[in-house]
Amino acid sequence: MPPEPPPEDDRPNPWGNAAETQTAGPTAKRTVVPSESDSAPAAEQFNCPNCGGSIEIKAAGLSVSIACEYCGSTLDVTNPDVSIIQRYEGEVRKLELPLGSRGMLRGTEWEVIGYQRRSENGRYPWDEYLLFNPYAGYRFLDTDGRGWSFGEQLTASPDKQSLVGFALNGEFFQPFYAQTRAQVDYVLGEYYWRVAVGEEVLTADFVRPGKMLSWEHSGNETVWSLSELLEPNEITDAFGIPPAKGGGLPLPHQPSPHRKKAGQFMKLALAVAFALIVITSLFGGTSDPQTAQINLSTNGVEQSAKVGPIILDRARQAVTVSARAPGIENSWIDLTYSLTNRDTGEVFEANNVVDAYSGRDAEGNWSEGNRYSSSKFSMIPSGTYELNVYAAGSRWTEGQYGSSSNAQLEVTIEKGATFYSNLFLALLFVFVPAIWQWWKHLSFESRRRSDSDFTGDDDD
Amino acid sequence: MQSENCPNCGAEVIFRSPALPARICDYCQATVKRIADGVELAGEVAVLPFDVSPIQIGTRGEYGGKPFDVIGRIRLGYDQGAWNDWLCLFSDMTHGWLSESDGQFQMVIERPIAETNSDLIQHLAQGGDAAIGDRTIIDGSEFTVSDMRSAKCIAAEGELPFAPSTGWDVFNVDMRDEQGFSANFEREEGEDPGFYVGRYVTLAELKPHSLRAIHGWKMPDYAA
Repeated sequence: MPPEPPPEDDRPNPWGNAAETQTAGPTAKRTVVPSESDSAPAAEQFNCPNCGGSIEIKAAGLSVSIACEYCGSTLDVTNPDVSIIQRYEGEVRKLELPLGSRGMLRGTEWEVIGYQRRSENGRYPWDEYLLFNPYAGYRFLDTDGRGWSFGEQLTASPDKQSLVGFALNGEFFQPFYAQTRAQVDYVLGEYYWRVAVGEEVLTADFVRPGKMLSWEHSGNETVWSLSELLEPNEITDAFGIPPAKGGGLPLPHQPSPHRKKAGQFMKLALAVAFALIVITSLFGGTSDPQTAQINLSTNGVEQSAKVGPIILDRARQAVTVSARAPGIENSWIDLTYSLTNRDTGEVFEANNVVDAYSGRDAEGNWSEGNRYSSSKFSMIPSGTYELNVYAAGSRWTEGQYGSSSNAQLEVTIEKGATFYSNLFLALLFVFVPAIWQWWKHLSFESRRRSDSDFTGDDDD
Repeated sequence: MQSENCPNCGAEVIFRSPALPARICDYCQATVKRIADGVELAGEVAVLPFDVSPIQIGTRGEYGGKPFDVIGRIRLGYDQGAWNDWLCLFSDMTHGWLSESDGQFQMVIERPIAETNSDLIQHLAQGGDAAIGDRTIIDGSEFTVSDMRSAKCIAAEGELPFAPSTGWDVFNVDMRDEQGFSANFEREEGEDPGFYVGRYVTLAELKPHSLRAIHGWKMPDYAA
């Protein structure tokens, strides 16, 4: 027995009781735009009850409110009859990404269905486009003129970390913007919530290179979203618009363009430095030392001694001559070395000194000088050599302390040499580009962070 | 499988599930209820308003290693919008709900209320109230009440575990934890309260087939 169908006017409003609270006014009927294929239709159409413009609802069944793209009036589309929430008669803005534009981003096609201009009480404005794909849901596309970010609302909350940040999927996000109010300054298109100009939410942002984690809170609802900075060409490839102009400070989540290079340069420098040190220690070093002792008075009279012979068998090689006078005080010994080839008579000369001074002044005891010195001959041809050492000791008598009247000098000649100064120069040469890249990286990071509310407590 | 004739219009009404008590007639939107010796009329629902949901009756997928078929849907609306709850019949004849709201999906499966230790759920089951932000422990994890609303049934289709009619009042509480798990409590007019636990899912991870083809949109590769 079929029951009595309920009287027509007594049927409950299928969209809940919103209609009872609607103010009376013109409304418009929605019709489904017929599909041109076997597929289900993709949109509904109606004429704006304020201006009559033809509007399509792209996210039918999901959209709750629409800001008319012709007159800007906000419309309620939760009922079969579209009604006006707020009339608007101003000129509508021309959008960089017009409503209805479609583009492929990260493997999915998206349609631009909404646009909001948002700001912090009129300052730091940014554009936020709402993207839709019936199979993939919603995404956000944000820009403040410096770059585009592609965002998604999260279904899980990030983990709060003791390091005053948040972790999501194992990635740490540092705080960047502290809690602040953001408002809607302008809106066009369709939304799955009730959009309204002037609506405020609390926001805070956390960043890591290339990504931003955003917190929004209004009433008792908290929403987390994650956005990724797009490469400049991605927005052009997707929607055919020129990339953001950039300029000004880096974006909060902009990865340092120097970081990779700095890392590579530093790795290369470390590898080369390691190789240089290995080579130096393998091929450096000395052998076959021969030593002579010279006793001299520190009276300025030159004394000489012979060391050697030393046989050099490689075509070209280094020779190190070192002098040591451990006992001297407030005196110095001028040294002249002449290395003579016994066969050819070719002579190589070098000068050096060993010295030691000490005294006392207002700041206390002081001492300087070096009781040890070494001289390096490089590229000496093969042959049998003899070293003549000419040593002249002198006393420094202006100090408070006594000076040695005698000195025992020990001179050693060895084959080979370790040219530490060359190594040092080579290392410097190798590290300069790496340090330069790091400097560029760090100065980028410091500019990027200069806009943060958390600049002080960050030493990454 | 049970084939009957709609007591309202006479069209064939097929019950695919062995246990579900109700089915909306595809032709006249009458709610047909199974009784001991056949079927009876139990009301009527409105025609589904147009939407661009990618799910349809007959969509197949996989969740928790079990294949499922979408066999029914109830559409619920309130003053801030509307959502779809799609009934999924698993291969072991149990069922779950694929809830579609704001372009996001959750799969939830009913739990006996008596088996939950959550004071909040027990309180709600006894007709009590809750507030957004209330916390409760479910399965050892802390859930927060994220949304709460009184909604009405807008329309329904296919097979359902209850016999809905348009205008039916539903009180619905959404809870979620920080890991993407979700729970729902529902109190419907004339039905026992229901408690459901599950998690957010992406369409892709359900490995869906027979998604609805929507004009002008490419079917995703994972469903092709």
